[in-house]
Amino acid sequence: MIATPNSMFVLRPAEMADLPQIETIAARSAIGITSLPPDQQRLIEKISSSRYAFSSEVDIPGEETYFFVLENTSTGEIIGTSGIAASAGFHDRFYSYRNEIIVHASQELRVSNKIHALHLCHDLTGFSLLTSFYIDPQFAESAMPQLLSRARLLYIAEHRRRFADKLAAENPGVCDAEGRSPFWDAVGRRFFNMEYPQAEQLSGGRSKTFIAELMPQYPIYVPLLPPAAQLAIGQLHPDGELPFSILIDEGFEPDIYIDIFDGGPTVEARVDTLRSIRQQRRLPARVYTSSQTEGAMKPNDGNATMLQALVSNTRADRFRATLATVRIAGDEAHIEADVAAAIDVADGEALRVVALEIAPGAD
Amino acid sequence: MVVVRSVTMADLPGLLALVKGAGIGLTTLPDNPALLESRIAASIASQAGTAERADEQWLFVMEDIENARIVGVCGVAGFVGLRDPWYSYRVGTVVHASRELGIFTRTPTLFLSNDHTGATELCSLLLDATYRVGRNGALLSKSRFLFLAEFRQRFARKVIAELRGVSDASGHSPFWESLGRHFFSMDFAEADYLTGIGKKSFVAELMPKHPLYSSFLSPEAQAVIGETHELTRPARRLLEQEGFRFEGHVDIFDAGPALECELDDIDAVKKSSRAVVAGIVDDDADASSAPSLVANTSIQDFRVGLGRLRLDGEAVHISTSLAAALRVNVGDAVRIVALSPADRSGADARAREASTATARAS
Repeated sequence: MIATPNSMFVLRPAEMADLPQIETIAARSAIGITSLPPDQQRLIEKISSSRYAFSSEVDIPGEETYFFVLENTSTGEIIGTSGIAASAGFHDRFYSYRNEIIVHASQELRVSNKIHALHLCHDLTGFSLLTSFYIDPQFAESAMPQLLSRARLLYIAEHRRRFADKLAAENPGVCDAEGRSPFWDAVGRRFFNMEYPQAEQLSGGRSKTFIAELMPQYPIYVPLLPPAAQLAIGQLHPDGELPFSILIDEGFEPDIYIDIFDGGPTVEARVDTLRSIRQQRRLPARVYTSSQTEGAMKPNDGNATMLQALVSNTRADRFRATLATVRIAGDEAHIEADVAAAIDVADGEALRVVALEIAPGAD
Repeated sequence: MVVVRSVTMADLPGLLALVKGAGIGLTTLPDNPALLESRIAASIASQAGTAERADEQWLFVMEDIENARIVGVCGVAGFVGLRDPWYSYRVGTVVHASRELGIFTRTPTLFLSNDHTGATELCSLLLDATYRVGRNGALLSKSRFLFLAEFRQRFARKVIAELRGVSDASGHSPFWESLGRHFFSMDFAEADYLTGIGKKSFVAELMPKHPLYSSFLSPEAQAVIGETHELTRPARRLLEQEGFRFEGHVDIFDAGPALECELDDIDAVKKSSRAVVAGIVDDDADASSAPSLVANTSIQDFRVGLGRLRLDGEAVHISTSLAAALRVNVGDAVRIVALSPADRSGADARAREASTATARAS
């Protein structure tokens, strides 16, 4: 179970053969990761539509959903999942509440009040969505979450036409031990009169739009909500801390949009502003065998840099990414043969590489 | 004997003394000498025909003639909202329904509106507590209908009356506490005062502009939407007897109801008639007849009193004291209507019943 020195972890598109393991993960994942439903039929659909997306020629983002798994190649064990939906609310609308400040001012009365309001909006419709993040808790402290989350950005960097210029990601909002969301209780429940999981179940796994159309369409004045609901606005569920912090470090903006059901923060950013996108490079691979390594992969070369890096191939379908030591020398990326094999890159082929440690000052 | 008559500047001290005893909730009559003076001045300008239409307003006082004391006041605003915007909440309904999910939720809403812009408003009704006996309240309130009937071309087709909403003894309005306070950090009393001194539209501009879901308000606040203050319930009944109805507009601060009626549908307006004073007699002319409102026809010194009349065609006999109170002599025109709708012309009553029956049938 625990990674041995020889273990290699590779991110790749999910295959139907992964279904049993994915089902186990879905059963374990917290309420709120709606993109990973504990339902075999829906998981089968998710994998097959992902297979279709990866293997299709795509010119503009549409209804494709990409679903990745992170595999320990020495054991075949899947330790995490992540995904991308090419176009949020494709064929329909994607609903969020937008935080707004309405200034109520009167010069005459010398009063100026800033009122916080939530505005139901479709702003994020058509954004590409980062979804389905799950990591085996044993690996939470490792670099694997970085690989799981950010390798998606390498895929997006290579295949820009498949995705929108803007990305968003939903994050779970706060709820108590019984799964009760104070935000839902104050807002959605008034219009549904049922628990959120029940409403979601009733909607039969159809898009959230179906439910959203029953939600209040007029702006909600936050001061009118009970204190617990006010506090839940934009508040992250502790289970969502890890993937959230990775996105925040990338430069995602957390303060504008919230989920219409549980009030969790929905982060968003322009692809071009993300640190991994700006700092990644597309370079030809130079593959070293063990014997060559003695000479070539040494760090103490004035013109070369040794990096702990996320590295991926540039294929649309047979995408592979892993975490490895990469030597950047001039305009070449030097990698070991086992890394090249893991990500399926031949000597001279292009790869994408970005440092594991994001350099905040570099952009 | 009491008479309701057009206000004069000499009434200012008496009027001030009256409103000082009134407490919170009488928005349009704040305890403010300068403002009361300007209200009187505006009324006098309207009587004289020198006011612009948008500014026309009419204030009447009830005087206890024997004691030369101002014991009540009432007013009419010609056309509201033509200077500063006139705001009210329209109570609406939004249905969220899904057949597939088996959901049907009816949610009450409040829409900020200017729907009553240009309407004529009955306002500023206040009667000294010691005079709230007998028919004084009805005389004070209904005297205005004879004014509207006599000078109907000066008024809008729609007449409204905003009634005081629910508040407790210390002036706390549950509606204000649940809504207004969040947007405007002041007490209801202060907001009410600002409204009275002509700053309601300023206050309104600080209030929420988007439609509100009433279900987000406290249960106490939801319960008082469209409800009348306990002390104002008799006034509401009185207006309802004349044909006024709550049509879903409430005050933006205390959610008190605005009652509405078309001017020509106000029972007292519809049933009132002109007559000529044929004789002046020592006592009530016909002690067996129902009490009637009797008004002179002067716009500058309009006067209304109560009396039992003997009406013969268009000739009417009234008592000496009433003639004095109205300042009319034999040969002068008066406008009359029975005080109680039940006592008004039988033919009209039958017509009303018939039209109600038709309305029900259709």
